[in-house]
Formats: sequence, C-alpha cells, structure tokens
Amino acid sequence: MSTLQVKLLDYYWRLCATAFCFAVFGGCGLVFGLIVFPLMRLLPGSPVAHRRRVRTTFLKVMHWFVNLMRGVGVLTYEFEGAERLGRPGQMVMANHPTLIDVVFLLGFTPQTTCIVKQALYKNVFTRWPVTAAGFVRNTPTFAMIERAAQALREGQSVIIFPEGTRTTPGQALQFQRGAASIAVRAANVITPVFIRCEPTTLTKNMPWYRIPPRRVRITFRVGEDIDPRQFRHAPAPLASRALNEHLKKVFEAELKTGGRPASAGLALETRRAFR
Amino acid sequence: MLSSEQILDLLRSAFAELFEIDPARVTLDARLGEDLEIDSIDAVDLIERVRRVIGRKVTPEDFRSVRTVGDLVQAIERLAEG
Repeated sequence: MSTLQVKLLDYYWRLCATAFCFAVFGGCGLVFGLIVFPLMRLLPGSPVAHRRRVRTTFLKVMHWFVNLMRGVGVLTYEFEGAERLGRPGQMVMANHPTLIDVVFLLGFTPQTTCIVKQALYKNVFTRWPVTAAGFVRNTPTFAMIERAAQALREGQSVIIFPEGTRTTPGQALQFQRGAASIAVRAANVITPVFIRCEPTTLTKNMPWYRIPPRRVRITFRVGEDIDPRQFRHAPAPLASRALNEHLKKVFEAELKTGGRPASAGLALETRRAFR
Repeated sequence: MLSSEQILDLLRSAFAELFEIDPARVTLDARLGEDLEIDSIDAVDLIERVRRVIGRKVTPEDFRSVRTVGDLVQAIERLAEG
C-alpha cells in the first residue's frame, strides 16, 4: 500500500473507532444510569454507603472506557502521579483541553465528586449517571460554592476545571475565581493536574466526526500540592484573588515550558500550537 | 434598628476590608458590578458578611433585584426589619 492509502485507512479506522467509542459511552450512560445504578440503590445501607458503591463502579467504568479508547486506537495516554488523587478534602484542579480529559480524571480519582456543567443534567446519556454519583451542578454560583465546600468538609475530593469551560487552544488560560473561592473556604489541599492533548481534539463546539489527522496523545501530570492555608490570612475575596493568580502562574509555567526534558518534543509542539 | 446611614457605613467598611475599595467610591448610586467590580463570587462573600452583621439567614434570592449600593442598603433594611 502507498503512504496515502495507509493514511486514509488509518483515518477511516479512527473515524469508525471514534463513532464506536461515542456509542459505547452513550450506551454505558443509559445502562448504568437507568438499570445498574437504580438496582444498586436497592442494596442496603445509608445514602453515603450507596454513593460510595456507585462511585466505585463509576471509577471502574471510566477506567475501562479510557482503555477502550486506547485499545481501538483513537488515542494513547500517560497518567503520571494518579496515586496522589482522591485524598480527603482534596481539590483537584485541571485545565480542560478536550471533552474527554474529564473521563480520565474520573477514571483515575477514586471516590470523587466533580463539578459539572448544567448541560450534563439535561443530556439523556449523562443525566442519570451524574445524578447517581452525586456530582455538583455548576449553577448558580452561590449554591455551587456552598455544595462544593460542603463536599470538601465531608472529606470528599472534588474535581474542578477552574476555567469553567474547555480551554481554547492558542489562548491564555482564563481562570474563573469560583474554584479558588471554594478552595479558600474548604479545601485541605489543592492538587493541580496538567493536561496536554496533541493534536487538539474535541475542543469546544467541535463535532465528534472532526477527528484529528493522527492519533491523539493525551498526557496527564499530577503537580505538586498547593497548601490553601497560606492564602487564608486575608478576607475571602482577596484570598481567592491571590490564590487564583497563583494558580494561573502555576499552570502557565507548566504548560508553556513543557515541564520536563523527557517531553521536550511534545512541549515544542505544544508551544507551537499555543502561539 | 439600623438607620440607612449606619448600614451605608457598615457597607463602606465591609467593602474596604473585603475588596479594598476606597470608601469614597461607595455611594448610594454606585453600581455594584460596573462601578465597584463586584462579581458573582464576591457577592457570595458579601452576602455572608451581611448574614453575620444582621444575624439572620439571608439567601441570594433576597438580593436578586439589587443593582446599586442604594438597592443593597434598602434590601438590608428590609431584611433587618422582617
């Protein structure tokens, strides 16, 4: 076969595989949301015990799905430092370059809650799972902050994307202050997760069939913990502003420089993509 | 019972402490969003402060129609009475 034929074959394979993954994801959403989780609800135990079981299952399904995506060849991934995710009162903050990064975070963070957009409570494939897992709805501001802070105080970990939406490639990170505000109130520890996705795929408003020219490589690096106590000497609004600035610097430093020599090639590509 | 003047004074000190806003800028017709740059996250912190000062439960609903500092003073007056 010529190079062109190989490329075309690769492209159509990945297109079909992508369609397959979306279908499987939707199917899982319905099966688990409408059958498995409601059945699990019949098991004895407190609401907390029930939520625990749902989240254990959720983690396994997400983890399985991530490996399915890798198995059918739509992507490769690396996840560095996952063992530090899911601690009590931990706030996991990540940039959000692609629709699917959240699936990885949920597949690698045990017993976690996630702040998710309102639309997922309307989508027929996601509404029941996110409800069963007890996730926090991102609206309105006041209720969201209260609920997330409460989850942290109860010792849950919370995943949040401080940008509040997907990262726009080539633009500076725009961190909303909500994440910092929650952290200042109630987090024991903040753990940043730096995500790179190359080439870009499934960014905001990108339909599923617009697949990238080659297999996606997505890398996760769990960064150093940030202690929110160092920001708590000031009143909450000033503290959350200071923390937000700090977070922005941490993410920009990591995502621009590429972090470590081992990924210098990728970093160079990322820098090019971000120009 | 707090007078409008007292409430405005309380707000001036709260704005100075929470947001480092010069008290001279906190006038009755100053708009919270446009003039004082209070966003929805700040509003959460501000509502918590109001709750502590007047010592009763308040919800974001109580401040739904608040646009200016004057509106806020009136809303707090109403809440303190009710």
